[in-house]
Amino acid sequence: MRTCLVVDNSKMIRRVAGRILSELKFSTEEAENGQVALNHCRSKMPDAILVDWNMPVMDGLSFVKALRLETGGKKPIVLFCTAERDVIKIAEALDAGADEYIMKPFDSDIIASKLHQVGLLVS
Amino acid sequence: MSVVLSLKPSYYEALKRLTLELAGIHLGDDHAFLVETRLSVLARQEGYQSLTQMIDDLFGQGQTRLAVKVVSSLLERDTHFNPDPNGMETIEHFLLPTLRNAAQSHEIRILSFACSSGQEPYSLAIQADKFLIEYPGMDITILGVDYPSPALKRAEEGKYTHFEVQRGLPIRDLITYFDRAGEDWIVKPVLKDFVRFKEFHLLSKLDSLGQFDLVLFRNSLPYYSSPAQIRVIRSLASVVRPEGFLMFGSKEDFPQVSYGFDVMEDYPHMLQKKPAEIIEPVEVTIPAPLVEYIPGQSA
Repeated sequence: MRTCLVVDNSKMIRRVAGRILSELKFSTEEAENGQVALNHCRSKMPDAILVDWNMPVMDGLSFVKALRLETGGKKPIVLFCTAERDVIKIAEALDAGADEYIMKPFDSDIIASKLHQVGLLVS
Repeated sequence: MSVVLSLKPSYYEALKRLTLELAGIHLGDDHAFLVETRLSVLARQEGYQSLTQMIDDLFGQGQTRLAVKVVSSLLERDTHFNPDPNGMETIEHFLLPTLRNAAQSHEIRILSFACSSGQEPYSLAIQADKFLIEYPGMDITILGVDYPSPALKRAEEGKYTHFEVQRGLPIRDLITYFDRAGEDWIVKPVLKDFVRFKEFHLLSKLDSLGQFDLVLFRNSLPYYSSPAQIRVIRSLASVVRPEGFLMFGSKEDFPQVSYGFDVMEDYPHMLQKKPAEIIEPVEVTIPAPLVEYIPGQSA
């Protein structure tokens, strides 16, 4: 079973995303900010990471930049999942190393579509 | 929970007959709620006090204009960007290079049949733009056709919600080919330049559209009645250029036609038209049972 780390300071978003990912046959774990997520990745690198942008302690962008510098940090597929819709922000996330980008609000179709696009789901 | 419907069963049956007659499509038996929801919206748009009043008018006075609007509303489909990824890969890696090599006039013409709200034509336009960056000097045009409907008007506008652009469209394509328009996203002129849309009754003769190198008719055919399938395929065959291609959905059964086409072993969802000098007489067998049309559901 593939693993996905959901990184968001909102417990509700983590729960909703986790439920959708479970339905798509992913095993999920949670982190409430980028620092917790980074520590998690150092001990156990997931197959995919769904990460919010604006979080306390360490935001999503800083987390992705730091992750990509880690050993093995190039491997996990990173999907930003954020309310930020500005084109400049999206480009910044991609430059930092994100593979895809989900704009909130999202639904199960969107998550599934994005996972298809990055090759983590096969129809 | 049971839902109270205002539409009499006899009216529902009459709507099914109307859809079959006008569009050749079988409306399912168990979708009265969906039908009623869609037609209630149309009734409001048309200025009726109630759905029943509109349906009374439709069948009482036999209004052709209203009949077309009702059927178009019932047949509007939910479509995605890059529908049928296998087919899109075939277009990118096989069809566009093949057509480029074969093109004598440096022009590739593509027809997207039953294009609904336009995601397929615009997805093709993205492929075309990327292809032309690599192989400049070609002229690629894409024509999307469908029944006159609000969906086709949206296609012409090229404006999509943030939910729609996230279904099937990679983020890099979104920020390259779309501009933000408030909460929505609108297709950039560079993409619109490839695409035209045209209202067309799908059971009409298509000859007036001209000839195309590639005709796409994906995930719609099973909904048509057997006679309508023959008419549609025959019409489509007439607009594919010799040595051009007709593509169905990659998981779709289609009639075993010999409208001058060869089956392609490596691409079973596609047919290639024979060269002009060896096109044979038409024969057709219709296989599969009909699939029930569920309003709004993409195949």
